Amino acid sequence: MPKHIILDSDPGIDDALAILLALASPEIVLDGISTIHGNASTAQVTKNALSILELAKGSHIPVYKGCDLPLVKESLLGPETHGDTGLGYANLSAPQVQAQAQHGSDYLIEHIMSHPGEITLVAIGPLTNVALAIRKEPRIIQHVKEVFVMGGAIKHQGNTTPLAEFNTYVDPHAAHMIFHSGMPITLTPLDVTYECIFLKEDLDRLLKIDSPITKFISDTTRFYMEFHDEYQKIDGCVINDPMTLALTFMPEICDYQDLYVDVDISTGVGLGNTFADFYNYDKKAPNMKVATGVRPRMFMELFLERMEKLADSLS
Amino acid sequence: MTKRIIIDTDPGVDDALAFLLALSSPEIKLEALTTVHGNTTIENTTRNALAVLDLLKANDIPVAKGTSLPLLVPLHKSDGEVHGQAGVGNSKLAEPNSNPIQQHAVDYLIERVLAEPNQITIFPIGPLTNIALAIRQEPRFVNAVKELVIMGGSIRAGGNITPAAEFNIYADPHAAHIVFHSGIPITLIPLDVTYKCLLTPEDVERLNKIQSPIARFIRDAISIYMDFYKHYEGVSGCALHDPLTLATIIAPELFCYEDHYVDVDISGGISMGNTFADFMKVSKKPANMKIALDVRGRDFIELFLERMETLSRSISD
Repeated sequence: MPKHIILDSDPGIDDALAILLALASPEIVLDGISTIHGNASTAQVTKNALSILELAKGSHIPVYKGCDLPLVKESLLGPETHGDTGLGYANLSAPQVQAQAQHGSDYLIEHIMSHPGEITLVAIGPLTNVALAIRKEPRIIQHVKEVFVMGGAIKHQGNTTPLAEFNTYVDPHAAHMIFHSGMPITLTPLDVTYECIFLKEDLDRLLKIDSPITKFISDTTRFYMEFHDEYQKIDGCVINDPMTLALTFMPEICDYQDLYVDVDISTGVGLGNTFADFYNYDKKAPNMKVATGVRPRMFMELFLERMEKLADSLS
Repeated sequence: MTKRIIIDTDPGVDDALAFLLALSSPEIKLEALTTVHGNTTIENTTRNALAVLDLLKANDIPVAKGTSLPLLVPLHKSDGEVHGQAGVGNSKLAEPNSNPIQQHAVDYLIERVLAEPNQITIFPIGPLTNIALAIRQEPRFVNAVKELVIMGGSIRAGGNITPAAEFNIYADPHAAHIVFHSGIPITLIPLDVTYKCLLTPEDVERLNKIQSPIARFIRDAISIYMDFYKHYEGVSGCALHDPLTLATIIAPELFCYEDHYVDVDISGGISMGNTFADFMKVSKKPANMKIALDVRGRDFIELFLERMETLSRSISD
């Protein structure tokens, strides 16, 4: 039985790759996408989500526009990392299909409540939509099957401040609400995503297939690779989001620890810092499963094979 | 012109008195109540709202049930020794005859306000969770609300739940932060003025010369509330925090207002939930609200009593 997935996402270069991976993976059914501010504005990422779906012949999948702003903090977008449109150098045509009228948070509520125990939520942007949803309808906490979150940096350094990862830094208060909600969470932090670098050689392999998909991947990741080179001295780029999605159907890519994880919302230099109580000082029960080890090539081979298949089918 | 209002509320003894004042005031058209956690649980506040409307024979006014928890801080109720076990003191209200509407309070607020931009004034007299969610879910809400008249905060008067913080703000400081910085026109009614409006035991006696379920409800509802003020604050009488917000419509001349930049501390230290105004303009930020800093307290209490007497005579035994 394929897993039914909602992707809560801010595409975003690596978000776009997660959408493509979802469409290329028979183990899962992408029921819908709710969009969220983050890598670019909500208006922009909503347009991007629709354009990517069109590119990959997935326009039957509904897109729901979500929150424009973080809960409490000032807005922070990521043009240096993802470009002004959020998709690097890719120039997708404007979408033919529109977003649904329903708000992203309300879609989460309605879809989870109408399929209790069946929906896997994959949240790969700031957690504002999910935070609104659990306060408006607390019963989704019991009714969601599982929640995969791309975010945080447990032992790893931050990528937005020295201590904080982008998604948790953009809306640390929303992350705090989700972490302490009681939902069954699997966290994919930078600790594992930074082990998986999408290399120039990987891109060259994909480009052997002439397809709008491989052209898009090339255009979008070229900007991302330049960013990683300039800011982080990494040759290649880190594709956090598709890896998070892959764990929903291929959990063996990672090793996990059950941990009590908190996020700093005290507005000092550590704002958005995520940390785990490895020695159980606080004597608190674990609130999530954290991916702490990874088999990088297992993920990358999966990703490349799926992209090749998708590219072949749409060449 | 009558002002059209929605009260966002956590009844709560003084919340209930605010409904009484709204419904006895021709200057006001109370269009709905939206409920929120606060003085007691969301189940209790919603039931109380419906039951008080029943008592007032006003159950044509819709009640929309709202959020059950603050955004981030743990739930901090004040039932028991402030508002009584079920939130309305010792009053024994009958189970309500009607139900809340199906729609969530946040959705109801968004829908009503967007349907008639600049027509509806919202009176949030509990924690600000519903209003904060409405702002984040629908950014157009900010420009469509006519005004918020908020009971909350304490500018120079000290706190009533911590030394630094007032209850409604402390119960959800992050929501208050969202609302204060939203850009919606705000009038703030802080403890600085509400503590100048004390209903005394003599006032309650005066009201109960009229045989009416209304007068009796007021007496029974506030008995625990008065005991609380006597025991903790050494005050003979109780502050009419929530009803005072409505005086901004009925008798605006009672207040002295100043425009200031007001912020709320969400840094998690000992002054969490503290509300403070930048009187000296040190932050160079433009004013984000109008604050009531003084009030003719006894004049308000007289106004309140007259309205309650009229209401009691109209709903007598």
